[in-house]
Amino acid sequence: MLPASQVANAQQVGNLDTPAPKPKSFVVYAAEQQNVAAEKRSVLELHFRVADGFHVNSHTPKSELLIPTQITLQPAAGVKAEAVQYPAGTSYSFSFDPTEKLDVYSGAFTVKLPVVADAGTHTVDGTLRYQACDHAACYPPRSLPIQVIFTAQ
Amino acid sequence: MLNVKRNGLVFSVMVVGIALLLWAGWHNLRERRKAMQRAQENHVVLQKDGDAVSTDMYKPKLVGKQAPGFTLMTLDGKKVSMSDFKGRPVLVNFWGTYCGPCKVEMPWLEEFRTKYAADKLEVLGLVYDVEIGNETIGKEVKKLGVTYPILLTDPKVQAVYLSDSEVLPMSFYVNKNGVVVEETAGIGGKDEIEAHIKKTIASGAAPTAGGQ
Repeated sequence: MLPASQVANAQQVGNLDTPAPKPKSFVVYAAEQQNVAAEKRSVLELHFRVADGFHVNSHTPKSELLIPTQITLQPAAGVKAEAVQYPAGTSYSFSFDPTEKLDVYSGAFTVKLPVVADAGTHTVDGTLRYQACDHAACYPPRSLPIQVIFTAQ
Repeated sequence: MLNVKRNGLVFSVMVVGIALLLWAGWHNLRERRKAMQRAQENHVVLQKDGDAVSTDMYKPKLVGKQAPGFTLMTLDGKKVSMSDFKGRPVLVNFWGTYCGPCKVEMPWLEEFRTKYAADKLEVLGLVYDVEIGNETIGKEVKKLGVTYPILLTDPKVQAVYLSDSEVLPMSFYVNKNGVVVEETAGIGGKDEIEAHIKKTIASGAAPTAGGQ
């Protein structure tokens, strides 16, 4: 908590008169070109990183009111995608409430996407939905657009 | 003679074949580079000072100013306005059902509301994620044991109070003159919250004394 008397030298943007800026991001997606065998089941890896000092709920948070990290993918021609495989979360507790254990992702996490694809270069569009908190506060859910690009040969 | 002709034909086919293979490889590489470029353009890149703003970087905006007025609906459909509490110290607390820290401090606020009832302290809980529905919000409130008014926010009050921060919880300590005395982002200690409440109650002297 930050009282007025301890104003940080932050690059806080905007004031009451300025329009709302673009949504802030707490997770970044590292797109990488991947190669798989054509027409064979292969597993693509989607690499994400949560900003330092933040965490997001895992895909299986421990309360139904918590918003899980979830990927939605659009259908792509020549690509049969199976269900996305999420990593297990790690246990986290806020310092002010050590009894409540949350299940979160922090730092780097990798989501796996099994596919069977025709030969060629493919792009699968999708969205990562997540909800982030830091050590003392939480932020509204965000949607991060992603593109999974890979070549089957 | 026939052999020479045949060899020439085979050689020509081989040259054309190799050329086609080279072209296909080059074309494939070019397409992959283009696709990667498109993906890179779509990336959201973290910037230390501009993107993810943590509570440590929060800068109060309303301290020393008159608390912006609002009229909002309660869970049971009653209208509540900031002006209804004129002359009373008010703690305006923004929270969300997805926000763990909010739900830790809300019972504390309930406790302080009772403790400082003689000072006419009021607590208003302004719920941020109204889209989740009154029923779910009501269940959470009941579970937390909160009895102070829970108000459904609208984009206007969110913009005026929260601006671009969207941090929850957010608390605005408003004195009896309607001036914001303290503004906090994120949860702090229980003692810290009580200290802000005491400061708010003490602030804004009676009108005869000239006020703040």
